Amino acid sequence: MRLGLGPVALTSAAQVRALAEAATASSFDCVWVDGTPAAAAMVAQWTPVRVGAVVDVGLHHPLHLAEDIAVADLTCAGRLEVLLRPAHDDPGVVKEHMHVLTAALSGAHIQWEGLHLRVPGRLADNGPVPQRLALNPRPAQPAVPIWVLDDQSEWAGVADPLGFGMASRWHHGLTFGAARSRLPRAVLCPNTVEAGELIEAAGDQAGYFIVEAGTPVEVRTAGRRLAGPLRMPGFPGWVNE
Amino acid sequence: MRLGIGIFGMQSVPQRPDHHVKLYRDLLEDAELAESLGFDSIWLSEHHFWFDGYCPSDLAAAGAILGRTSKLGVGTAVMLLPMHPAARVGADAATLSRLGEGRLSLGVALGYREPEFDGFGLRRKDRGKLMDALLPELAALCAVARPAVPIYVGVATAVAAQRAGRLGLPLFADSTMNPDELREMLAAYDAAREAAGMPAPATHALQRDVFVTDDPDRDWAMLFPELRYMRRQYGAWSFPQAVGEDVAGYRERLEADIEAKLKNLIFGPALEVEGRLHEFEALGFGLIVCRSQFGNLPRPALHRAMEGLGRLAR
Repeated sequence: MRLGLGPVALTSAAQVRALAEAATASSFDCVWVDGTPAAAAMVAQWTPVRVGAVVDVGLHHPLHLAEDIAVADLTCAGRLEVLLRPAHDDPGVVKEHMHVLTAALSGAHIQWEGLHLRVPGRLADNGPVPQRLALNPRPAQPAVPIWVLDDQSEWAGVADPLGFGMASRWHHGLTFGAARSRLPRAVLCPNTVEAGELIEAAGDQAGYFIVEAGTPVEVRTAGRRLAGPLRMPGFPGWVNE
Repeated sequence: MRLGIGIFGMQSVPQRPDHHVKLYRDLLEDAELAESLGFDSIWLSEHHFWFDGYCPSDLAAAGAILGRTSKLGVGTAVMLLPMHPAARVGADAATLSRLGEGRLSLGVALGYREPEFDGFGLRRKDRGKLMDALLPELAALCAVARPAVPIYVGVATAVAAQRAGRLGLPLFADSTMNPDELREMLAAYDAAREAAGMPAPATHALQRDVFVTDDPDRDWAMLFPELRYMRRQYGAWSFPQAVGEDVAGYRERLEADIEAKLKNLIFGPALEVEGRLHEFEALGFGLIVCRSQFGNLPRPALHRAMEGLGRLAR
């Protein structure tokens, strides 16, 4: 089981830094920000643990997102994670953006011909231009871990072949179902969740629980309550007393 | 006179093909050094889809620097605005300005390399129209950010200066322009600004190739191949090999351009460099961004130059 903090609202440097430092001191695996890879790159300088960016996909050109991810991952020497939030009304657009994003991050020499995207453009007005392009530099990680936020189970058919993990918001009665990805299922949780209900939801699988907390005290309290039980069955509760 | 240091592109150049993990680690160390030396700011450059991995995302790199440092300004020199949605840049810049406590500046310019426009499905010939549409939108977003994000408009021609003048935005003048060309451009800028009824900005920024040395013979032998690489690269982007042009002839054409551009390099001991920089300050450039990093210089050489220039920054 993994434990993340966030997504943290990007209010001020002092507040975000205090939360990141509390997460580091409370055994969280990752600090997630509600913002782009650039913001995550900044937060990565304030913590030695992993950092996550929650970003919209489908609004802007996926090559820009791929470039942001690559550079942010390089600045933190391979500690970046990404949660994609589908943000276009047309699922076809989102799907193509996910494909191009994945292809670009892989370092492949890409040529994409879709209904909504053509990469590279190969526009006659541009004169002689390469027929393929590659993202360079590539991320530090061989495969940046990427999840797709999918509350209605719409995206699994697209996300699975691309190697993305699935993420959803916590609700009572949540169960994970069969494992589909090498990445653990991610769940965005309120600060009130208890370890027992998270373990029950996961069943036989690993879970990645990303927990909201607005103050360093809340971060420490959540870490103390959740980290031990999530990581080892039969965690002796008296350790925390 | 405020002194910035640049221009960092984190390039894995053929003569020193470091891995990009190291290049970005070096960048953060160089930013810490710049801050300790008293520089006003550090500046990053952007290009896309190039074999040496030239930095394609200045804002992601800027975020890391803002997180690592506490006083140093961070700027883009320059972001190729026609390739970016203004809403996306404006939102990201506002976030970094808030978390970076007002230390982010955006230099923006047209861009010119066709494969970059083509990669994003854009026509190079549309870049002027795109800039006309995107620049006011970005300026409005940056003005309402808290703290506001200063915008400088990268220019190498009078037409570009007039565009900036109509919006009353300060200039970020190209490193290859000589004092006479700069004067002409400033005149065109002022005329357009006054015609639009815009107030004069507090100052303009200028990019210059500057290398401070206490041993010119030693450092020129080191520097010249690096400068030649950089100028060949920019030259090849500005005027690519023509269809049917043989490689030898093309390289000759590039070399002629390199010779012309090197004339604008300020190279010498600190006092001599200081005098030259004050000449540009007198033209109206209160912020001078000194390019002392050319591609990926040997680190001891880069740090010697930064330390020499840092004496002027203080």
